[in-house]
Amino acid sequence: MLENSAIVMLIFGCVVLYGGLTYFLYRAWKSKKI
Amino acid sequence: MAAVGSAVGLGNVWRFPYVCYENGGGAFLIPYFVALFTAGIPLLILELSIGHWARGSPPEAFKKIGKKFEWVGWWTVLIPFAVATYYVTVMAWCFSYMIYSIDLRWGSSADSFFTSFLNDTGSPAVLGNLSIPVLLGLIAVWLCIFLILYKGVKRIGRIVALTVPIPTALLIILTIRGLTLPGAMEGLNYYLTPNFSALSDVNVWIAAYAQVFFSLSLAQGIMITYASFLKKKSDITNNAFIIALADAGTAFLAGFAVFSVVGYLSASQGIAISDLSLNGPGLTFVTYPTAISLLPFAAALFGMFFFIALLTFGIDSAFSMIEPISASANEKWKISKAKATGIMCTLGFFLSVIFATGGGIHLLAILDHYITEFGLVSIGLVECIVLGWIYRAHKLREHANETSEIILGRWWDYLIKFVIPIVLILLLFVSVYNNYTNNPYPEYPAWTLISAGIIPVILLFFLSFVMMKMKGKEEEI
Repeated sequence: MLENSAIVMLIFGCVVLYGGLTYFLYRAWKSKKI
Repeated sequence: MAAVGSAVGLGNVWRFPYVCYENGGGAFLIPYFVALFTAGIPLLILELSIGHWARGSPPEAFKKIGKKFEWVGWWTVLIPFAVATYYVTVMAWCFSYMIYSIDLRWGSSADSFFTSFLNDTGSPAVLGNLSIPVLLGLIAVWLCIFLILYKGVKRIGRIVALTVPIPTALLIILTIRGLTLPGAMEGLNYYLTPNFSALSDVNVWIAAYAQVFFSLSLAQGIMITYASFLKKKSDITNNAFIIALADAGTAFLAGFAVFSVVGYLSASQGIAISDLSLNGPGLTFVTYPTAISLLPFAAALFGMFFFIALLTFGIDSAFSMIEPISASANEKWKISKAKATGIMCTLGFFLSVIFATGGGIHLLAILDHYITEFGLVSIGLVECIVLGWIYRAHKLREHANETSEIILGRWWDYLIKFVIPIVLILLLFVSVYNNYTNNPYPEYPAWTLISAGIIPVILLFFLSFVMMKMKGKEEEI
């Protein structure tokens, strides 16, 4: 099983990286400016 | 897309997970994100802005700031060309291993990579025999680079539309497969469990800044060149965030693919993870292939997936290292793009043959060490001084703000003028100190470190002035 502290870091990494990437891709798609 | 492809390379697959594990596991994500947002993204915006504003290759861009700064541009394109000569060698290894995956030819012996594949002599001072599989791989990879680049930027666009999503999809498949293996969770615990005491260690913070700096293809003229191809209305700041987060996201994902399989290897062989070879070539060409051989089914398929992913991740980075110098030669001497690319690829091939010898892996390690620790960091520092202090950072900030809905404040100027230069000076200082007090390669003769590491870095610096002094086609007329 994954340790609790590892789960916390996993969520932290996913939110910042993939959440951030999704947000900026959405911005680019919305403004049609890449 | 091309810039994402350039930033995401072989280093993401093996370097990030290893650096993360070495520097506090999951806790490393904290300094890594701080470094990404305080140095990586601001520097990326700086490079994209200068390329977009100048609409030319790095020497041309720096020449527009002041004629006497053209050498900075040449320096930024010469360094990635030197990196390409050994980077392509690593890709040639991947190329051979992709073919070996068909029948898992590397066998069960972990050392076969060094002994029978590389003909390793054990020392950079003894070149030994050429490795024919590596030589054939070099020919194949250099030919691919030439075929991608010689027709110009349109073909690059078509290639990266394949070479960015394909390896990402393969990495996701490998991650899912890895997570279903016994022992995978132990591997992930090893990768992610935070050691917060590491945050008080200055070396961990330096490692985070170094990882961000090297991983984003900064100070290599690549982002300046690609930005010159962007449309006038392209959103520079938003693009910088996309490139940086895609790069970091791929590295983070690669950690799951790699460490789940490492956990499986540890469980199936009864060896502690800490006793396995986890850095650089060891992880990619020894530990991972050994683990693949032990897979209960479809081992060959997953082996191919892994090496195809590495090759396709690597090819974008490899041609992005050649594109700046061929674009610069094309602009300065008005020679055709095909001719400039042909000259650079031929020259690159002959230079990289030395890394296909038995002593090649050691020469590669030495050159990589000195170029990344001193060459790239010095260029980054000079870029910050020239663009931040002499040209004035606020002019480039205003240019970026004109293209973007994300408005950069004066804080960005302070990052470019103070924070990043201080971090880079610190990085240089620590590197010099570490090299002085603790020889990184005590087993190698000193003359090999000087001739294969220190002299090439110094030579590239002086060569940039020679290139500046050489007359271009327009100047001759």
